[in-house]
Parts: sequence; C-alpha cells; structure tokens
Amino acid sequence: MKRIKNFVKNTFKDVPKEKREEIIKKVTEVLMEKVEDLIENGLSEEEAIDRAVVEFGTADDYFEPEGKITVFKKRLKSIKHYRNDTIFSISGALIIIGMLIFANLYYAPKVIWFVLPTLAVLWWPLAVIYNFLNKKENKKENNDE
Amino acid sequence: MIKSDIVRGHLESVILKLIIEQDRYGYEISNCISIRTSQKFQIKEATLYSIVSRLEKKDLIESYIGTKTHGKKRRYYKITALGRAYYSEKIKEWLQLKDILETLLEAKS
Repeated sequence: MKRIKNFVKNTFKDVPKEKREEIIKKVTEVLMEKVEDLIENGLSEEEAIDRAVVEFGTADDYFEPEGKITVFKKRLKSIKHYRNDTIFSISGALIIIGMLIFANLYYAPKVIWFVLPTLAVLWWPLAVIYNFLNKKENKKENNDE
Repeated sequence: MIKSDIVRGHLESVILKLIIEQDRYGYEISNCISIRTSQKFQIKEATLYSIVSRLEKKDLIESYIGTKTHGKKRRYYKITALGRAYYSEKIKEWLQLKDILETLLEAKS
C-alpha cells in the first residue's frame, strides 16, 4: 500500500502546494478502494497495485478535463544551485587530485603517474562549470527579453 | 479503443447518469463504464477522479462514507437535486448535438 502512496505523491509532485495535499489524499483513497476490489476479485496484492498504477494515467489526464492544459513548471534550479554544484565539483576534484599526488610522491616518487588520472578527474568540474556558464548565459538572455 | 478526447466533453454527463441510477463509488464507476461499452472505452482513473471532485465542488453530487459487503469502507457518491437538473440540461444538449452530427455527417448528397 505504500507503493500506491508513493506513486500518487510522485504523480502530482509538480502541482502547486495549495492543491496538492487535497488531490493526493483523495486519489490515494480511491486507488486504495480499487486495489481492495481487485484483490477481492482474486488478484494478488502485487498484481492489483500494478494494475491500479498502470490504469491510472498521468497528472495531465487529471488536469485536461478542466478545460485548460495546465503545465506545471518543474521546480526550477536557480543559478545558485548551479553555483553550488560547481563549488562541490571543484572541491571534490581537488581532494581526489591531492590524494593522487600524495600517493604518487609517497609510494613511487620516481614514476610520475598522477597526471593521467588527474586529467580524467578534471573532466568532472569542467563539465559542471560548462553547464553553469551556459545556464548563466541563458538566464541573461531571458532577462533581456 | 476509441480516443478519449472525443468523449471527454460528455464524460460529466456519463458519470452523472451512472450516479443517478444508483449511488456508486469511484472504482465502480470506471468498472461500469468498461463493462457497458464492452471494453471499447475505458476511462482513465486520473480523468474520472478529477471530474468527480469537480462535480462535488459544484454541488452536483455529494459523497458519503458507506460500507460495501464484507464491511469495507467506500466513499459513495450521491446525486443532488442540482445535479439532476444539470443532467437533464446536458441530455438535451446531447440530443441536439447528436441530431446535428447525424444530419451533417450522414447526409446523402
């Protein structure tokens, strides 16, 4: 039964807060009823839940009959989030590279091998920074319009 | 299976009719629709519940907690006077529409 609850929560997660609680409560209730009925008709609990979930449809099916197609904006990641991602990736990469250098110099100072894994690790912050800059540019353009 | 957007505008009336016949609970309604159309039309539960909760908000139906056989609790829906009036309006509308489409689509030139 927990699966039903999670499914409903997940389906309506982008609905505005004021409406969300009520919709989730009602829909969970009716889906539970359905599952109980299906079990009564001889299905196992697993099968009953599967069927209820499959036949339910999507959040769009829920909102379409209201006449307007409400597309809820996903909770947007703000520039701040991207900046945090960048900081996280840079510090993560620095720690890993530091450990590589340490291991290299401590155990095999004659063979300099740390450069190659360092290059590999560098791709991580580079990709995140690239993404961050792109988003920043996008935001700027949107603000200009 | 028929596309649901053709039927969508009339689902309200369909659900009202089923509730007028007798008090029903959510899954019973969707089950009834599939059985009566011999699976040719199945209503998505998401659609059904949004319509039902809208009808309830408009005071066209009321809900109460009833017990089914074996004592299981179900939320049943019951028609109100307002709902009946609304339904008879809707039926008139439907008959007109049916008439119009028949004339237009099946006319022999």
